[in-house]
Amino acid sequence: MAKIVTMHERDIEKTSRIQTVRSILGTIMKYAFLLLVAVAVLFPFYWMINSSLKTLAEYKRTVPTFWPEQVMWTNYLAVFESGELGELFGYTLQIGLISTVASLVLTILTAFVFARLEFKGKNVLFAGLLATMMIPGELFTISNYTTVTQLGMITNDSVLIVPFLVSVFYVYLLRQNFMQIPNELYLAAKVDGTSDLKYLWKVMIPLALPTIISITILKMMGAWNSYIWPQLVEPQLGKSLITNGLLRMGFQDASGQTDFPKQMAAVALVSAPLFAVFIFFRKYIMKGVSRSGIKG
Amino acid sequence: MVDSKHKWKAWLFLSPSLVLLAVFTVWPIINTMIMAFSEGYSQMYALAGKSFQFGLGNFEFVAQYPKFIQYLKTTVLLCVLTVPISTILALLIAVALNSIKPLRKVLQTIYFLPYVTNSIAIGLVFSAMFNVIGNVSATNAQIESYGIINNILMAITGDKWINWINAGSPYWANITVMVIYIVWNALPFKILILLGGLQSVNKQYYDAAKVDGTSKARVLMRITVPLLSPMITYVVITGFMGGFKEYSSIVGIFGADMGPTGNPDAMNTIVGYVYDSLAANQEGLASAAALILFAIILAVTLINLQISKRNTHY
Amino acid sequence: MKVVLENLTKVFPSRNKKAGGEVIAVNNFSFEIPDGKLIGLLGPSGCGKSTTLYMISGLQKPTSGKIFFGDDDITELTPENRGVGLVFQNYALYPHMTVKQNILFPLQNLKGADKLSKEVMLQRAYEAAKLVQIDELMERKPSELSGGQQQRVAIARALVKMPRVLLLDEPLSNLDARLRLQTREEIRRIQRETKITTIFVTHDQEEAMSISDMIVVMKLGVVQQIGAPQDVYDSPENLFVAKFLGTPPINVFDGTIKGGKVYIGEDAVLDAPGVEDQEVYVGVRPEGFELAEDGAFHCKLRSVEVMGRDVSIVSENACALTPVIRSIINADNKVDSSKEEVCFNLKAHKTFVFAKEKVTWSTAEEGKTLYNFNKGAQTLNAVYGAKTYELGTLLTDEDIAKLEKQAKQSLSPVAKFFVKQGKKILATAQAKVAPAVEFVQNIIPEKPALTGEITYKLAMGKNKDGETLYFAGGVDNARLCVTSDINLAVDLHAELITKNVEITKGKDTKSKTIVEGYHVYYLEGDKKVYPELNVANGENHEKRIFL
Repeated sequence: MAKIVTMHERDIEKTSRIQTVRSILGTIMKYAFLLLVAVAVLFPFYWMINSSLKTLAEYKRTVPTFWPEQVMWTNYLAVFESGELGELFGYTLQIGLISTVASLVLTILTAFVFARLEFKGKNVLFAGLLATMMIPGELFTISNYTTVTQLGMITNDSVLIVPFLVSVFYVYLLRQNFMQIPNELYLAAKVDGTSDLKYLWKVMIPLALPTIISITILKMMGAWNSYIWPQLVEPQLGKSLITNGLLRMGFQDASGQTDFPKQMAAVALVSAPLFAVFIFFRKYIMKGVSRSGIKG
Repeated sequence: MVDSKHKWKAWLFLSPSLVLLAVFTVWPIINTMIMAFSEGYSQMYALAGKSFQFGLGNFEFVAQYPKFIQYLKTTVLLCVLTVPISTILALLIAVALNSIKPLRKVLQTIYFLPYVTNSIAIGLVFSAMFNVIGNVSATNAQIESYGIINNILMAITGDKWINWINAGSPYWANITVMVIYIVWNALPFKILILLGGLQSVNKQYYDAAKVDGTSKARVLMRITVPLLSPMITYVVITGFMGGFKEYSSIVGIFGADMGPTGNPDAMNTIVGYVYDSLAANQEGLASAAALILFAIILAVTLINLQISKRNTHY
Repeated sequence: MKVVLENLTKVFPSRNKKAGGEVIAVNNFSFEIPDGKLIGLLGPSGCGKSTTLYMISGLQKPTSGKIFFGDDDITELTPENRGVGLVFQNYALYPHMTVKQNILFPLQNLKGADKLSKEVMLQRAYEAAKLVQIDELMERKPSELSGGQQQRVAIARALVKMPRVLLLDEPLSNLDARLRLQTREEIRRIQRETKITTIFVTHDQEEAMSISDMIVVMKLGVVQQIGAPQDVYDSPENLFVAKFLGTPPINVFDGTIKGGKVYIGEDAVLDAPGVEDQEVYVGVRPEGFELAEDGAFHCKLRSVEVMGRDVSIVSENACALTPVIRSIINADNKVDSSKEEVCFNLKAHKTFVFAKEKVTWSTAEEGKTLYNFNKGAQTLNAVYGAKTYELGTLLTDEDIAKLEKQAKQSLSPVAKFFVKQGKKILATAQAKVAPAVEFVQNIIPEKPALTGEITYKLAMGKNKDGETLYFAGGVDNARLCVTSDINLAVDLHAELITKNVEITKGKDTKSKTIVEGYHVYYLEGDKKVYPELNVANGENHEKRIFL
């Protein structure tokens, strides 16, 4: 090997200085970039709240104010009291809860069967179900629309619940989780004479709880955010969920102008439960999302 | 796996799910095919006893329908713009985030916020931010409020403002608004996945690079990106899948008309066409369009996988 | 290039965040490494040797102290400006690059005046490859190489930029036994040829002794002894060093010094003129025994193992700290294996006497001695409520590391569960999953027992002799405290022992609280009673008494 040359001639003091300056500059730039992005991410939320607390006159000023001169909490009250929004909240919550609970029961049972029980044709059946995940949801919507019409479901609440009860994806997610629980546990339970359902309840569900919580939250959020299907069935059903309800409300004042502050107040009210859930279940949501890559 | 003595039990547990899946997942696949290949199919007429000829008529109609071509262009344009922008931005954010300690958790939480929003509701907020109140016609503009985005733009450029989404707004302005909103919405998921990927990369690769005096840019291009390539592929594929199905976010900004006042459907997309056809009782056309969409997504996914296979060598 | 370490200290925040405090990884390490030598940093896991290496590389910054390369103070320099080559334990070869690209990578980073032409880079890459004999494999990917070959590529990558100092972190630990022998010779050869000052870290004493010019034995952040391998072996400065070096390991006995003589039990085995009377440990190397009919040291003969050139005599003595004594003597000495007793004389230069000082923070109470217990596999039963759970084998540090790795690869949620909830005290996941899961689930309401907080509840285990021991699991570093008194174990608590130290960095002097160890106590009424317990971070026990 040749003689070592790279380091000796270097001026330690100078190198040390350059390196310090560089690292400080680098850190500053990194934080500047990240904070800028954070501002861009947060700005719409800030603007929503800011706008929702203004009077319409203040909102329409050519030079905008960055905090309302007169804070109009009454906007929120007015939106809620105008009737519709409160009703929409209640109805959406009701539909969301029912579909989440029913969906959980079915998902857990199905995942359990595919993970633990053995019967002929299981693998073929499961592979077939997985294959359907590749197909975009729009394709199902068309036919499901004709189906619910034909079944007469379209005029009652079940139309918002039943078609989405079993999600192949959630079954898959939970089954994977169940599969990781050592089979030995199941054998031990069998030896002790534990029934399948008891075993499911006592061992598998507790161990897979994080996934189940993730599924629950994502399902609830899905109901809250669903737009397309409720919009499609609304004419016959005569009821809306929160999202398409919000869009329909319009917030026009007497002269036909949009009352933006009230609209923003409604948007803030619709967003609030989502943020609340996010704050409390951040970990589960992020975990569930990173594994699923789907919204709701 | 355990052999259950009571096979009927498995089927008992499964039956509710299987019935639902058969009706709402399996049947639609078959039914959509049938509808797509029944020329001019409409359920209303079908129920009245009308029969339809088997053929490619629906596909021919859709493929030649100028509006559909326009929607397809818009969809592709949105995809081609938003996927690279959001992926590169998310990668930079994830890398920067991964390299800091103070504030990391807080920033990570902030960046995730757009994910837990209602895309229609927040679409209204974006719409308000870009909205100009007053008369925006070019000849006789009388503006009350330019909207906060234009206010910022005017503060930077002096007096320039843009008619983003109001009556008479140009196509490129509409697209820009959509790109901004879609990227804002798409970042959280991509950051989450890429950051997760970064955190699973062995720190020693970076230590080794540090000892060797590798520059930041070189570390990013020669080490981070190759090692993250599976995650990047995943994020790009899901990005395209979502992008080709863009619909709700447009409704959020432009309303159900899918375009600025006086120019409905200017921002409509393939999915929008599917639902419009459905609402117009033209299930045959809707099915054909949905199948075309499926074919496009499948093709794009396969191409992506092929490219990533060529670029991932380990 | 000589490397000088001056009062090098590294303090990490404690892993147990709630308890706070800090842990000293390396404590006041000073040493001058002569130019062109091969130095082995040696010690059990967690002794601070890797931290020392990383501080020399610049990847970690010392809390205080200085590092010099030659006459240059490089303490504040970043790694790339130090001119070091570092070989990682798992090699850290870039998986997406070929061997050639991997070796070229450091050269392509050079900028400005150091920038090389393509031809020179290639030439140097091939030179480095030839040196480690992998020039045939240049187009392969790391995944297509064996462990030994990957190791060589890693060395080539570290050497190609001609570093002033070469650092190797556990370079042989990922190789199988045969390759290990071969590779360590190889490292020796490469070091001789390049004459680059080389520092390598290992926990394998044989490895360090066989190739190093000098070894540094460390324990819990403190340097125990520095010297040529033979000198350290022949003259250990404390019991730890004596026990750490040598296979088979040194035999250790409880002994006393009385009236100028060293006694093991009743046997006066050595003269110790002028040494004051005291309790001691007596360490005797296996080769330190001399068979003699009238030998002073009496042991119960167990068996004789013939090894060809030597014979190994396995015997027992009540004073020995290990169940058996192993002595190796020349095969010319015939041993009658039918005899009940065997007598030895001890060679003075192979026998070391160590002071029996323990660092204790408290009063000892008779019959309630607790031992610091964290090594060696033990059977583990856990008692919780009225039920006993057979959990399997007690986790050793290595098991925990393995389990953690497994959990990271997300093989099993159960493994994850263990690592998260109970890695400090629980059993192997494979052997007895069902009771362990039940145990964990039952014990969860008692969160302190599992989350690494300061109090823990009871577990019960059997030691190798079948004696039942009860223990409470440790706070940090999987310390387990063992007692044979169940009442005591039930009430066992632990608290942190902290110390304020002043740390000087540049001009600033800061006072910091540092965790020194844990105090185990039990309650008698409201009174905390501290049984004698030997837990320490970084103290130097059992110093040698030179006779």
